[in-house]
Amino acid sequence: MVSNTIQFLFKNKIYKVKNPDPNETILNYVRDDLKKTGTKEGCAEGGCGACTIVLGELNKNKLIYKAINACISFLPTLNGKQLILVEDLTDENNKLHPVQDAMVKFHGSQCGFCTPGFTMSLFSMYKNYTSITNEIVDEALSGNLCRCTGYRPIIDAAKSLNNKKDQDKFKKNENKIINLLKKIKNTDVEINNRGKMYFAPKTIANLKKILKKYPNAKILSGGTDLSLEVTKLRKQLKTIISINYIKKLNFIKKSKNTIEIGATTSLFDFQNFIKEYFVDFYDVLKRYGSLQIRNVGTIAGNIATASPIGDTLPILLTLDAKVLVQGINKKKIFPLNEFFISYRKTKLKKGEFIYSIKIPINKENIFKAYKISKRFDDDISSVCGSFSFLIKKNKITKAVIAYGGMSEIPKRAMAIEKKLKNSDFSENTFSEVVNLINKDFSPIDDMRASRNYRLSVAKNLLLKAFHEINNKKIIRIN
Amino acid sequence: MRNEKLIKEQSIPHDSATKHVSGFANYTDDISEPLNTLHGAIGWSKKAHAKIKKIDLKDVKKSEGVISVITYNDIPGRNDVGPVFDGDPIFPKTKVEYFGQPLFAVAATSTELARKAVLKAKVTYQDLTPIVTIEEALKKNNLLFDPRIIKKGDPQNKINKSKNKLKGSFNTGSQEHFYLEGQVCLVVPKEDNNLLVYSSTQHPSETQQIIAKMLKQKSNSITVMVRRIGGGFGGKETNFMTSAICAMLSHKTKHPIKLRLDRDDDIIITGKRHDFYSEYEVGFNNDGKINGLKIKLASRCGMSPDLSYAINERALLHIDNAYYLSDLEVKNYLCKTNTSSSTAFRGFGGNQGMMAIENIIDNVARFLKKDPSDVRKINFYGQNKRNITHYGMKINDNVIQDIFKSLLIKSNYKKRYKKIRNFNLKNKFKKKGIALTPVKFGISFTTIHLNQAGALVHIYTDGSIHLNHGGIEMGQGTHTKIAQLVANSFGLPFEKVQISSTNTSKVPNTSASAASSTTDLNGAATLNAALKIKLNLNNFIKKKYNIFSKIEPIYKNENIYFGNRSFNFKKIIQEAYLNRISLFSSGFYSTPKINFDKKKFKGRPFYYFCYGAAVTEVTIDTLTGENIVDRVDIVHDAGNAINPALELGQIEGGFVQGQGWLTMEEVVWDKYGKLKTFSPSTYKIPAISDTPKEFNVEIFKKGSNVENVVNKQKTTGEPPLMLAMSVFFAIKDAIASVSNYEKTPELDAPATPEKILLSVNKIKNLIL
Repeated sequence: MVSNTIQFLFKNKIYKVKNPDPNETILNYVRDDLKKTGTKEGCAEGGCGACTIVLGELNKNKLIYKAINACISFLPTLNGKQLILVEDLTDENNKLHPVQDAMVKFHGSQCGFCTPGFTMSLFSMYKNYTSITNEIVDEALSGNLCRCTGYRPIIDAAKSLNNKKDQDKFKKNENKIINLLKKIKNTDVEINNRGKMYFAPKTIANLKKILKKYPNAKILSGGTDLSLEVTKLRKQLKTIISINYIKKLNFIKKSKNTIEIGATTSLFDFQNFIKEYFVDFYDVLKRYGSLQIRNVGTIAGNIATASPIGDTLPILLTLDAKVLVQGINKKKIFPLNEFFISYRKTKLKKGEFIYSIKIPINKENIFKAYKISKRFDDDISSVCGSFSFLIKKNKITKAVIAYGGMSEIPKRAMAIEKKLKNSDFSENTFSEVVNLINKDFSPIDDMRASRNYRLSVAKNLLLKAFHEINNKKIIRIN
Repeated sequence: MRNEKLIKEQSIPHDSATKHVSGFANYTDDISEPLNTLHGAIGWSKKAHAKIKKIDLKDVKKSEGVISVITYNDIPGRNDVGPVFDGDPIFPKTKVEYFGQPLFAVAATSTELARKAVLKAKVTYQDLTPIVTIEEALKKNNLLFDPRIIKKGDPQNKINKSKNKLKGSFNTGSQEHFYLEGQVCLVVPKEDNNLLVYSSTQHPSETQQIIAKMLKQKSNSITVMVRRIGGGFGGKETNFMTSAICAMLSHKTKHPIKLRLDRDDDIIITGKRHDFYSEYEVGFNNDGKINGLKIKLASRCGMSPDLSYAINERALLHIDNAYYLSDLEVKNYLCKTNTSSSTAFRGFGGNQGMMAIENIIDNVARFLKKDPSDVRKINFYGQNKRNITHYGMKINDNVIQDIFKSLLIKSNYKKRYKKIRNFNLKNKFKKKGIALTPVKFGISFTTIHLNQAGALVHIYTDGSIHLNHGGIEMGQGTHTKIAQLVANSFGLPFEKVQISSTNTSKVPNTSASAASSTTDLNGAATLNAALKIKLNLNNFIKKKYNIFSKIEPIYKNENIYFGNRSFNFKKIIQEAYLNRISLFSSGFYSTPKINFDKKKFKGRPFYYFCYGAAVTEVTIDTLTGENIVDRVDIVHDAGNAINPALELGQIEGGFVQGQGWLTMEEVVWDKYGKLKTFSPSTYKIPAISDTPKEFNVEIFKKGSNVENVVNKQKTTGEPPLMLAMSVFFAIKDAIASVSNYEKTPELDAPATPEKILLSVNKIKNLIL
């Protein structure tokens, strides 16, 4: 069954929108159509958090709450979800929600424009955690900018929620919400709004059919990059296929030697899984955009957009990751190293999509990764360095080194790798070999960093990796 | 006794706090649009400096949803939004002078369609060479005004005679305001060509005047209303382009128009903080005492004067910060560049002047191998001597030594200074640094006539109070504080007082909410109005109830007490009304004592000074230049604060904003004058984890104001921004440790990871 109507839960009622404009953002819909102006536009690119809303989703009969950027999410992606806006938090008697109360009590608002976004981020934190640590606060608010307060009162408000029992109205109405969400018919969606098409198939078979018919369609998962074509470049996306409703694409599987991540697995889910295996990968992911971005963004998306500064890419390169590509007829597997062609170009052909990413686990390898940017939270790397070594009897038997931000694609440092192989694992080796960086890379000057800085940092990150391994300790300030 | 504790001096939450957190605080873009509202968008120049050969708008006009297109031809009156001087054409006729300069605008049926339409313009340019940097402008002598020279004593002679001399140069960077609510305006046409203008501005009166002049109408035909703005920081003090164009579109189409700039357009079109370049020559004693200083201060002003003259003047007035400079010469160059017109930003030039002198003091201390805090102390203004500024003002409220002393103890500075040196000996890659810097900041508009304010206070027959004043609520809590003052004045609970939108038809001829003086000025004007009403009431009560004693009545606990007789406020108001007593009044205030001769650079430009100091400890990574603020201790003078929680908010928020200016916020133009940092993905303001890991802020306990300012408070608007200078110099201290403090690091602001690493590399002689 196919439907041209999306349905979502809002204020305990099921809302239906027939053939919505697939290029309209949730933010514009909320402000212009629902006439709810509490949610603000600060940047229209998911960079400030003023538009933060929370979506409730059913996952195995449990409600999961996620903060997202409404300014870069398309309206049809609301289908099947519960929409929660800042105006909805107060209870039936207009009593403030505990997170709102904390914000008032700790003087967490000044001009107030960013406040609805912060409130929603805090709300989602409150729904997801009982024990509130500094780390959880930093993560929950990593995607919300405030220009007035300097954050201290907001941090205090967040911390005051520690060990507060969740008794809000959403908790009280939980069963009702779950039942209503279950009422929403779970069908494929096909929208045609004056020639603008949107598909949300539920099975891979249907996805293939649609791709066959619309090979030029844009594949949407998190959409944190794709949506910018509409909100920033003011382009029209004629055909969009959302793959988020295909349950089979959302998984993390671990076998003995491999981790496999399905295409629509969110970066947030992945980050929490990978911590156990590659802690530096986790550390870099914590700085990958904001929580709002990581709640929807995916590794597959990062690979498909092939940005030279995509933060997961150099790491996946060093980990010898492989990309599983699904065509209409067959599956192909590419070592990531061979997947990138040139600036934002990959071997992904029309009608194909990324099915999963496979990461081998090799416990003998020593792995280090670092992201360097102007700002700690939610910034784009000037340089991202990733290193993997196999060291036997103080000899380097294998070195895999990759950098982001150093060339038009994320790239391995082949000259350095070659020189390191079979060398002693010593300071001499490394201080000599770093000079080959100029051979491997010729980075550019831009607003993020100069060529000189990039070269200098790329060298130093390799040295840092050496010293950290050599001294068996972490040498970082964060 | 509910009202026993004064309503003023309480930490009442911001009067909109509950609305802020529940989404019901309305900003301009949230106002319900009247029927038939059209939406605007601005088409702007893609060149920084060029002759306009042709603007082809055919495709724009044909674009879906477009109702009207305006160019300079449509403007009936003044085609300029310059606040003091001309130079900011709304739409230039022949020449573009910066990348982002508006050229035309459209009105369409939706914002999306308007924004899509403007992209369809075909503009042909004839390129001219752009001047982008201060260096280029100085070389080509491209200045907005003749260089300004101020001089006191004989600095050259003093430098020559000094035991020690240093020369050097220093840069501080620009800064984008990044108010979370961008520029936005809604104009509703009324009868007789009148316009009702809702604008996100710090300056409704000037908005009114500029629109009136543009339309060749009288000011009385334009009303500007502002309920609140989502941050301003100086970026909405001028920058009248949005409201002017919005009004022009409404005038032409006779429709209500909303014009909301997209974030990128906002950053590209509007002006930012002035970058400053300085060159200095200083002579000093072995103890670090400065004998003579010659300094050249040049700033990037952009393509027009805007407020650059006043901003540079404030830099000159703050080149001393908290230090006595006996012999001084400053040459000031206002560079005209093909960039957006640099404008007001919290600190207003004062901070740039202060960074210049702090850098000199720091370098003097490093040259002498002394703790910079000792050199700072030795140069402080004195209480009874060494207390006349370079512009001839005697300082009679100096508390910097007190604050300095209290901060040294509170922060345990000296012990930590040693501890950090030990840490650095033991750590090869991570280095720590610490710095203590003072702030002295002058309060008043240096353009004397701006130091005035008005207010309008109404008491309704149910005893509730409604008031308006000329100040803008932009987050600083001025409405809350002024409502506290008024509630206190009438002896009423805070809830009885309501402040509504700032409105040019209620209080006219207001000054911008700027120069940190909004509450000082408007609070005093409001109390003046309250006093007039109270005099009416008092006379009425005395006459009616035959009270002959000269005793001053006391307004307290919703009663008015004449000795032991008391009158319920609400009842007496009703009674007064029935007896035909006026229950409303305007109020006025103008700051006393101030005067300033701009030509001679002499006088008393400031009513009082704000003081504060901060100690910051940082850690840097010498392999990457990354840095972290470990701990900040602040003692800041808020006088006798009206609302300590709100003042604390200003202090902490100002600090972090200053930290952004001096560390991560980097505005980048390419050599063609194209702005490269125009969105949150390329321009980084501090985020949550940049907040100091430990942040101890104390409002100076002995704080008061020697002048007769409302509640004897001291403003906390701009001054706390400069407390963040300590972050920069702590970073510099950490870099110096790489050479075991033998060499003085070369470091310009902002100290981005890149600048830090390059400075470290230089000090290691590891230049690539």
